[in-house]
Amino acid sequence: MNPYIPILVIGAFGFGFGVFSIVAAALTGPKRYNRAKAAAYECGIEPSPQAQGGGRFPVKYFLTAMLFIIFDIEIVFLYPWAVSFDQLGLFGLVEMVLFIGTVFVAYAYVWRRGGLEWD
Amino acid sequence: MIRLSLEIGQTQKPEAILFYILAPLSVLAALGMLIVRKAVHSALLLAWVMITLAIFYIALDAAFLGIVQIVVYTGAVMMLFLFILMLVGVDAPDSLTENIKGHRATAIVAALGFGGLLISLIGRATLNHVSVGLAMANEPGNVQGLASLIFTQYVFPFEVISALLITAALGAMVLAHSQKSAGARLSQRALSSVRFRGDSLANAAGLPSSGVFARHNAVDVPALLPDGTPAKNSISGVLTARGDVQDSTQYALGSLPKVDDESGDK
Amino acid sequence: MSDTPVLQYSFLAPILIVLGGAVIGVLLEAFAAAKRRAVLQLTLTLGTLFIAFLSLLRIRNLTSAKAAMGSVMIDGPTILMQGTILLIAFFAVMIIGDVDNFTAQASAVPGSDEEKSALQAGRQQTEIFPLTLFAVAGMLLFPAANDLVTLFVALEVLSLPLYLMAGLSRHRRLFSQEAALKYFLLGAYASAFFLFGAAFLYGFSYSVTLSGIHAAVIGGTANNIFLLIGLTFISLGLLFKVGAVPFHAWTPDVYQGAPTPITGFMAAATKVAAFGAMLRIYYVTFAEANWNWRPILTVIAIATMLVGSIVAITQRDIKRMLAYSSIAHAGFLFTGVIALNKAGLAATLFYLLAYGFATIGAFGVITLVRDSSGEITDLNRWAGLGRRSPKIAALFSFFLFAFAGIPLTSGFIGKFAIFTAAYESGNIGVVVVGVLSSAIAAFFYIRVIVMMYFADDNGDSLTVVIPSPLTSIAIWVSGGVTLVLGVYPTPVLNAINTLATFIR
Repeated sequence: MNPYIPILVIGAFGFGFGVFSIVAAALTGPKRYNRAKAAAYECGIEPSPQAQGGGRFPVKYFLTAMLFIIFDIEIVFLYPWAVSFDQLGLFGLVEMVLFIGTVFVAYAYVWRRGGLEWD
Repeated sequence: MIRLSLEIGQTQKPEAILFYILAPLSVLAALGMLIVRKAVHSALLLAWVMITLAIFYIALDAAFLGIVQIVVYTGAVMMLFLFILMLVGVDAPDSLTENIKGHRATAIVAALGFGGLLISLIGRATLNHVSVGLAMANEPGNVQGLASLIFTQYVFPFEVISALLITAALGAMVLAHSQKSAGARLSQRALSSVRFRGDSLANAAGLPSSGVFARHNAVDVPALLPDGTPAKNSISGVLTARGDVQDSTQYALGSLPKVDDESGDK
Repeated sequence: MSDTPVLQYSFLAPILIVLGGAVIGVLLEAFAAAKRRAVLQLTLTLGTLFIAFLSLLRIRNLTSAKAAMGSVMIDGPTILMQGTILLIAFFAVMIIGDVDNFTAQASAVPGSDEEKSALQAGRQQTEIFPLTLFAVAGMLLFPAANDLVTLFVALEVLSLPLYLMAGLSRHRRLFSQEAALKYFLLGAYASAFFLFGAAFLYGFSYSVTLSGIHAAVIGGTANNIFLLIGLTFISLGLLFKVGAVPFHAWTPDVYQGAPTPITGFMAAATKVAAFGAMLRIYYVTFAEANWNWRPILTVIAIATMLVGSIVAITQRDIKRMLAYSSIAHAGFLFTGVIALNKAGLAATLFYLLAYGFATIGAFGVITLVRDSSGEITDLNRWAGLGRRSPKIAALFSFFLFAFAGIPLTSGFIGKFAIFTAAYESGNIGVVVVGVLSSAIAAFFYIRVIVMMYFADDNGDSLTVVIPSPLTSIAIWVSGGVTLVLGVYPTPVLNAINTLATFIR
């Protein structure tokens, strides 16, 4: 009757699964502690309270984020195009291929200049 | 699909509930964004404001806008924003000194005045007016309607947007990518051939991972090689230097029959 | 669902050619060898602009055609403004071609070892050329755009490369980067206002096309508050682009910090594009609502002229001085916009052409005055330049005369035409302020000339470098155009008068 009841039920299931998993793991898992296991991330590298250079990231991350946004925006245009693909016909296909092709030029430039390599 | 807004121009119960729960939270988050001291907290509050806006858009029958809000703003722009914060430094404090005397007071007065003017104008223009046009615009479906506009009437500006995207890529590369001189670092291909064409293939598939199967898989327990000796190179050098490495032979199964005894081809 | 859209590619040819050239330029960046990039890019850019100009000449008689599903309007003013932009861009690129003005590697931290090694290796950011072409494409589209969506996209396409190029100076790089950041942040803010205004105009008229909004304006039944808010915010975005008071604060910093060839390009071509769009919006869409915008634009015109002229007097830096002078010129151009008659339109178009060429030439000369550390823009150090390099100093003086509006230069004809148009529209107050601020402005232009010729030579180490062939062609042609437009402007004025009619 009320369309919100299935949503509530799904919410309850999700919550219950989360609680169950955590409690079950805590009850059944073996606990053998030692110094390395107690360290953060268990990785052997001490996290320093004050990050290097005031916690600044290398600028490389910025480049990755920018490139992500560019193709993210391209995808935003793909969504309505795909939804209406049948109505748009050949013209829509040609336009979209042209658009993707043009944006691909940016990709070619980034790739050739080594923007996709981390180092 | 559940339609949250049932009739155009009338706020129905579920939509009203949604609005009265989310709107104050959204406004609080927006205010908090301005007030909190740490830039990262401010960014997280901004993400919250964006998500609530996306929910509002979807509730107002602007499904495409809501999805774009989440995909582009909450995802991408937020990520960019955080990276910029981290470039500046997470702990970089805001400078609260006024370079121009009375700047803050003037700015607050001007902002309040401008906001008040705008609110009163928009209020006069919208209150007691019936909103029209949404049903017409959404008639073929929200996304379909937009698609038919983007790909027919506004197809030229749409294509020109690709120029904008190329410019953005050029800009990001010009400003942030340093062209290292060739040969400063080995390429992936060169590294790979060093690995496979070197003297030994022992580590070609990567170093062994730490831990003893089913007994102890922590990072401080060296793996046991088939002959029963611990593999030193399965442990991080830092742990070895600190002396945190455990003796993994204690986890070996002593009673396991020797492999040689079982082999039948001798 | 609907018929296949027809784009009329031949009408769009100038824009499409420039866009295509820019895309090929990016591909060259990707695939051409680093050593040959600069030459290839320069050839490609100049060639593209030349072919685009030829294709514009082919459609010059098609003065009332809509293209691209009504997004683009090809009428007389469009043809004139696109032609002006292409000519200005062509000569600006000649000066940009002197890559000594640009940083070797923009991503290197100023003063770092990486920067030094990039300089030694002779690296160049040849991305400037495709970026310039993208900006030109945006500028070509901006005055032709016939709906707010296209207008906004064009605004961004022209702005984004300029934000970037403002930060690529070779010398005083931190200054240049600061300029780029300021320009970007304020520009993004202005764009946001523009979008906000466009949304309100849609609410006002249920349309984003200029003719649709015009229909709602003359219909008179729509919600006028939306019209007011929309008009205000759209104007705000455009006023920012032309640097009108009180949205002028970015101009001096950006003009000073940006690489000088880019400053010249930006000052000349952006003004044409932005005033072109402004003219179309005010003349085509909001002409019947002029009681809403004309009074406030009159105030802005007066303030812009006065602030530009008066503050320029106090400047000690030549680029900053020309920045304030460009603010004053924006004010003069506004007198043409608010005249709201055919004479005003024609005069504004002529003024844009005249001012554009004088600006390209003047900034071209500034790139030549250097010492070992780069360009010298401090006015005091220009003392005695007239005796050391009489030819270049004379040319620069000529450009300053044109800015001041002295007879026998294009500036005089431009000012005369624009003030006549304002007078005809009955706006006497603006004319008085215009003449007055022209007189104030003449003072600081003449002061530079006096300094170059009559001040004592202070034995400074600065020299006028021998210009590269392309740069000298650009500055001498600019000088020639400034002279011809001042001595015999009739053919150009006639051509503008026949073409200058907006089509709805």
